[in-house]
Amino acid sequence: MAMPETTNKMFGEKLLSIPRWIWFVLVIILATIPQFVSITIPNVPEDSSAALYKELMTLPEGSTVIVQTDWTKSTQGESRGQFDALMRILMRKNIKFAFMSVADPQASEVARNALKELNAERIKDGDREYKRWEDYVSLGYFPGAEGKGKEIGESMLDAFKASKDKDQNNVERSVLESPVMKGIEKVGDLSAFIVVTASKSITIALERLQDKVKMLGLVTGVMGPETVNYYTSNQLKGLSIGLKGVYDMETMMEYGANYPDSSGKNFYNMKKYTDVVPNWPGKKNMDRGTKYYLTLHFTIGLMIIAVIIGNIGVLLTRKKGNE
Amino acid sequence: MGWNLLAQTATEPSFFNGPNGTIWGWIAGTMLVGFAILIGLLYMPAQGRKYVIAGFTFVCGLFYVLLWLVPTPHDRNPDDVPRGKVEEISFWLSDAVNVFGGLSNILVAMLLLLGVFSLARIHIAKIIKQQKDWVFSVCLIGAMVLIIIAGYNKWLTELNMDPAQLEAIGKLEPNAWPFYKKSQDFLFDGLLQNMDAAMFSVIAFYILSAAYRAFRVRSVEATILLATALLVMMSLLGLVTLYWNMGVDLITRGDPASFWNNLKLKEIADFIGSSFRAPGLRAIDFGIGVGALAMALRLWLGLERAGGSN
Amino acid sequence: MFTYLGLKFTFGVIATIGLYTVLWRENKFYRFWEHVFLGLAAGWALVILWTETLRPQWWNKMVGTIAEGGNIAEPGFWAWAIMLPIGFAGYFVFSRKHSWVGRIPIGIIIGLWSGQQFDAWIQRFWPQLNASMVPLIPTDFGLVPYAAPSETVLNATIRQNVYLSQAIGNLIATITLLSVLAYFLFGIELKSKFMQGTTKLGRYLLMVGFGAIFGSTVMMRFTLLIDRMYFIWIEWFQRIVLGG
Repeated sequence: MAMPETTNKMFGEKLLSIPRWIWFVLVIILATIPQFVSITIPNVPEDSSAALYKELMTLPEGSTVIVQTDWTKSTQGESRGQFDALMRILMRKNIKFAFMSVADPQASEVARNALKELNAERIKDGDREYKRWEDYVSLGYFPGAEGKGKEIGESMLDAFKASKDKDQNNVERSVLESPVMKGIEKVGDLSAFIVVTASKSITIALERLQDKVKMLGLVTGVMGPETVNYYTSNQLKGLSIGLKGVYDMETMMEYGANYPDSSGKNFYNMKKYTDVVPNWPGKKNMDRGTKYYLTLHFTIGLMIIAVIIGNIGVLLTRKKGNE
Repeated sequence: MGWNLLAQTATEPSFFNGPNGTIWGWIAGTMLVGFAILIGLLYMPAQGRKYVIAGFTFVCGLFYVLLWLVPTPHDRNPDDVPRGKVEEISFWLSDAVNVFGGLSNILVAMLLLLGVFSLARIHIAKIIKQQKDWVFSVCLIGAMVLIIIAGYNKWLTELNMDPAQLEAIGKLEPNAWPFYKKSQDFLFDGLLQNMDAAMFSVIAFYILSAAYRAFRVRSVEATILLATALLVMMSLLGLVTLYWNMGVDLITRGDPASFWNNLKLKEIADFIGSSFRAPGLRAIDFGIGVGALAMALRLWLGLERAGGSN
Repeated sequence: MFTYLGLKFTFGVIATIGLYTVLWRENKFYRFWEHVFLGLAAGWALVILWTETLRPQWWNKMVGTIAEGGNIAEPGFWAWAIMLPIGFAGYFVFSRKHSWVGRIPIGIIIGLWSGQQFDAWIQRFWPQLNASMVPLIPTDFGLVPYAAPSETVLNATIRQNVYLSQAIGNLIATITLLSVLAYFLFGIELKSKFMQGTTKLGRYLLMVGFGAIFGSTVMMRFTLLIDRMYFIWIEWFQRIVLGG
């Protein structure tokens, strides 16, 4: 009988002709409303995120790291959360850092602005201010990433002798004179080389430095699948990927990794990852990742529904046999 | 004196360096010679041009190839002296890394300026000739000039500022900042950064629209792609993982040693990740890497027609 | 609302919405903000390229720097002056007759890049090749036993063995790696049925990788949108307009 076929086809055609603007309005609504709801979603961190957290938590206090920050507000949703989590851990552990950029001229100013906000948060919480020159320095922007990576691998003294930053008297001096870079002659003298990026700059750094210094990565979702191979082959000692990675870091900062609470219960059931790493009780740990994670469920859910509706529509409108 | 022209080591101030009148003369002279050579190149016959470019490419590449091939000095101390010709060469190469690295940074920066120059040139020409939509070009050039002024104003102001005053300004609330700081912050953080974020976020709308219109299960490949994408997306979501695992727990009755725990979402996602996704992407990366290596060799040797030599 | 922060956030929201109007259709409001964005980005690049790159890494190296008291902090080195004519050569791309001169600085950069690729290739792929050599023959033909994180001895035993399920997983990984590699590298027509089958399998398994990339990309792009909605509705509307 033709009637159900025709009805199906009409329904299928309706499914396929949902106007674009409806999807756009829906995604705006679903990307907004859940942000006003505050719930902690249960989470099992990825092994790569747990390894990164452990590596950061076991960095020697007072040591120096380089943070290659190659993100701007264009990837703020993920990169800012990663950067904030990283900086909070480094600052709480009194680890000195020197930051540099290779991928985007805007990146170093964005990092400086983010650091100012984190410093203000520290002062508000009663922690000491992280001072420029004494606790951190800015190394500059180096558009020739390949050449700079080679320089860093060869000699830190030669690589940064021309880099200047302002000391406590607002006088421009070579960064090598700052307490941050004192005693750092080779890249191996650093306790880690950390890359926060939305681009392939992590690959360029890995190619030149991975056998000389411990490397850690915090990348966006787009770079995640290809960068995870560097983690599995032990070129990267820890890796945080995308918003899930941010949420992993924040929940581990809040609850630790395999770290039992006062009742002896673990927040996570991490079967493969067995190291025990403590948390940061009483500090601000949950931030952007926590705010955005619930909303991500709704938006990805809409995406899945859109794909299913599109395919059902095609199925119903498809001509069968010799109609 | 140090006639080590390429390998820069710390030198005593002398006739050839140091910020005095003599160095400016040498700098001017070098620039004049450089520009003279550049003008001379303009008269180079056509047959010789590709050899000039290929020569530059080869020499610059040769440095890093030699750096890779010649034994590297390990744990070298600053006062170490080379023993023999091989060590002398390896010390020189090691010292020259800083020079060649600096070369690439400076040149890339100058060529990025070229991009800005090109943009400005096109839009200024549009304004002068009053072509279609020239008013927007005025907005572009105006915005460019404004942020250049604001950026350099902030940099210069803070460069020469009293440290106590700088620290005091740093502690102020944004509403109380001086004008130089507000202007740069407004243009950079208020406008540029937010527009940068908006540009990238627009893609989310297009992904949704494209997935609805075009993501069809038409072939085996598309089905595999869709299934994996759905699985990855679901495994990223904590709530989905929680409820899926709760369903599995009904089968296993909470026994952590049960075989059926392998049906949990994280286990499935991890298995597909480690057995299919990671090796597949590794193979793609490797294939691209082999191609890039072959291309690098061809470019270095000047065999590539479209690269630099022709 | 009419404080500096209020104005800054308000203009940020107007600019964001201006760019979002392209979703409706191309319009003059969008084009205005698009051009402002390009101008600001280009202008900022000009600021940073001098203050953070060329000044410390070229100009100061060339002319040297003087410390307080008039003494030489760092001697200059005149040879860096040659970089200006070389960089200037790049601007000859605009000349129809002499555009070939513009390829000199590009050739230098290509040379510097290509010379590094040999070592970089080994550094990048050797550990990955190493990590791809996984055991295919099990040492224990049972399934992986369950061990709680606190059972360190059992966990150590598990790590020292290759169980049947792990060997099967490793075999699948090896087949995936080789078949995808075969598909990628053998672009020529293959006569052997085995190789044809292998490349076909590689094409299917490649889709798994692409599916993962698609899934992660979706997560990232939606996160960017969520961040913009947070900026508009919470940072601006709730905190600035409503004063919450």
